[in-house]
Amino acid sequence: MSGKMLFILFGIALVAAPVSAGEKKFVEFSSMRRNIDVSKVGLNDNVWKTAAPYKQPLQRQFLVDPKPADVGVKEVLVQSVHDGKYIAFRLVWKDAARNDNPKIMNFSDSAALQFPVKKEPLPEYFMGEPEKPVHILHWRAWRSADRKHGFQTVKTAYPNMVVDLYQFDYPVQGKGTEKTQAEKDIFIPGKAAGNPLSVPHKEIIEELSAEGSGTLKSMNIENTSGEAEWKNGEWIVVFRRPLAVDDPGSVRFKPGEKMPVAFAVWEGGRKESAGRKSVSPAWAEVKVEP
Amino acid sequence: MQMRKVYNWQLGRNAAYVYPQHRPKKQWAMVFDLNKCISCQTCSLACKTTWTSGKGQEYMFWNNVETKPYGGYPMGWDRGILAKLGFQDWMGDKYAGKTLFEAAEKDEKILQHLAEDADWAHPNIGEDEVAATVNRGDWITMPHRIWMYYLPRTCAHCTYPACLSACPRKAIYKREEDGIVLIDQSRCRGYRECVRACPYKKSLFNVETRISEKCIGCYPKIEQGDMPQCVTNCIGKIRLHGYLSTPDKARKDNPIDYLVHERKLALPLYPQFGTEPNSYYIPPIHAPLPYLEQMFGPGAAQAVDTYKAIKDDQTLKGLLVLFGSLEKLLGSFKVDTNHAYGYDEKGNEAVKVPLTEPMYIRAYYDKKIKVYRHNTP
Ligand code: SF4
Ligand code: SF4
Ligand code: SF4
Repeated sequence: MSGKMLFILFGIALVAAPVSAGEKKFVEFSSMRRNIDVSKVGLNDNVWKTAAPYKQPLQRQFLVDPKPADVGVKEVLVQSVHDGKYIAFRLVWKDAARNDNPKIMNFSDSAALQFPVKKEPLPEYFMGEPEKPVHILHWRAWRSADRKHGFQTVKTAYPNMVVDLYQFDYPVQGKGTEKTQAEKDIFIPGKAAGNPLSVPHKEIIEELSAEGSGTLKSMNIENTSGEAEWKNGEWIVVFRRPLAVDDPGSVRFKPGEKMPVAFAVWEGGRKESAGRKSVSPAWAEVKVEP
Repeated sequence: MQMRKVYNWQLGRNAAYVYPQHRPKKQWAMVFDLNKCISCQTCSLACKTTWTSGKGQEYMFWNNVETKPYGGYPMGWDRGILAKLGFQDWMGDKYAGKTLFEAAEKDEKILQHLAEDADWAHPNIGEDEVAATVNRGDWITMPHRIWMYYLPRTCAHCTYPACLSACPRKAIYKREEDGIVLIDQSRCRGYRECVRACPYKKSLFNVETRISEKCIGCYPKIEQGDMPQCVTNCIGKIRLHGYLSTPDKARKDNPIDYLVHERKLALPLYPQFGTEPNSYYIPPIHAPLPYLEQMFGPGAAQAVDTYKAIKDDQTLKGLLVLFGSLEKLLGSFKVDTNHAYGYDEKGNEAVKVPLTEPMYIRAYYDKKIKVYRHNTP
């Protein structure tokens, strides 16, 4: 299976970036050095007008079943700037409908950047591989809407739903009715289990690591901040993080060096999630200007 | 998708599955006598008050009871997937059609019907709806021209679970000790691949926690040797829970084996889906056979005949009175002239039930308190 996967991967890599004399070469774009505070760069700041966007073609995820028959987003415009301390990526793509509210069959618009934790040896571009982890920065529209309106609950999703009483949520006060939030949360399994999806977060971007498909793991750190906006059929998302942090599982950028990067976008309106996604066909490279 | 071959005894043949064949040491199984269900929903509420009373679970029923043919939770769950699968056939006891894994579209693991939000919003839609309109002067014949029956459902803790095979991150597992299928609440990432894939629609999405949940087979009770909540609270005493062997290892004194393998009275729900579900139903005797065969496979006619002859069938009659008569899980049973006996897994007698309840006839008029007695059996 993995042999076959490698073969396909190799084939695709050939198409995406011709190999010259055995040397692997990726499509490349620059993270421009700018004299601004990149840790605070906004969605539509002027600096973005000074950095040419790189057009990243996307295609359906093609390695692991289920594979989507087709995907909504076929191209994402990528820009990057840094100031020697912080680096930011700005992604723009077309999506006719905003999908940012959880419901039973609603799926979140989302986008992810993926970097190798170590460049040598380079992990498989698709979710990394055992012992060769990748670091993923995953933005979800659900989390953006949470930040804007407060954590969206089942009541937000279905305001007209009927319920008599929740366990320990007594409408009266008195002896025996004093319960802590933790005691109430026992009846909300995801929260009780500490699932990162079930609780509010400071940032709209989740940091994850993976060592192969199916191994994605939330890292429980929040070094990446961001902003997102949907307007006129288009998402604009900015990811900002320090060039380097102490954590050994995180990506480290160095001015003057290149860093492989891969992209994924999910269109919630098409019920895209997990492997049902648009992906860049191979690693690209971001050249961090000296 | 490259599939494996696994033996599915319900289909009498090897069938496709995502993972290689593996059976747990013991297999959780539930038997329902549909001739006795009254749709009181006590089972649904027993499950709900025990397991799903939290935020995000308001409209979530791990156990539900729907009225066939029109009712369904979520709405149209079975019609949806049956229509997608299309007409399929049996050759005797062998399934000649395609299972949902075998009918998977290109690049998919299993054929799917997606239930939308509105489908989940009406947990008992179609209740008591009958299959045809009642005409003036109608009378009852067997099977009924105008029919309906209640179908209580839980997760079937399938031998080849669709939910488990669909999860891209192996957050769903089947327990070795009892075959119970669980979603790891800390591993799930809310992809809903299981919600899409489960043909019985028994993997459900919790909007509050943004991850999926399902019937846990009441494992904390099972671990103590008790039957699940929806079984022990059943008002109609229509349910029995226990462990099911494979046909080659079936034991005549195991109540579940006896009903499923020995007498073939209890039949799997939509075996053609190919997950080898472990919910077994004694079909209702008054419903049309083609419908029953579609739902329970080719054994439906024989099961109906067996059930109709039950009054002269000492062992079966005895076993049916054990339904709903105790909380402890039964390892074996015995029936003699007057009583049915249930034994726990160690062989100790756990219950003794008379086949015929004693009858008391009291005078129509009670002279002492000067009242007439109503005839309330
Ligand atoms: S409690 Fe028993 S009789 Fe009542 S609806 Fe449930 S299965 Fe049917
Ligand atoms: S009934 Fe559905 S949820 Fe339950 S084990 Fe089978 S496939 Fe999974
Ligand atoms: S077995 Fe337990 S968890 Fe499952 S439906 Fe019945 S009561 Fe609910």
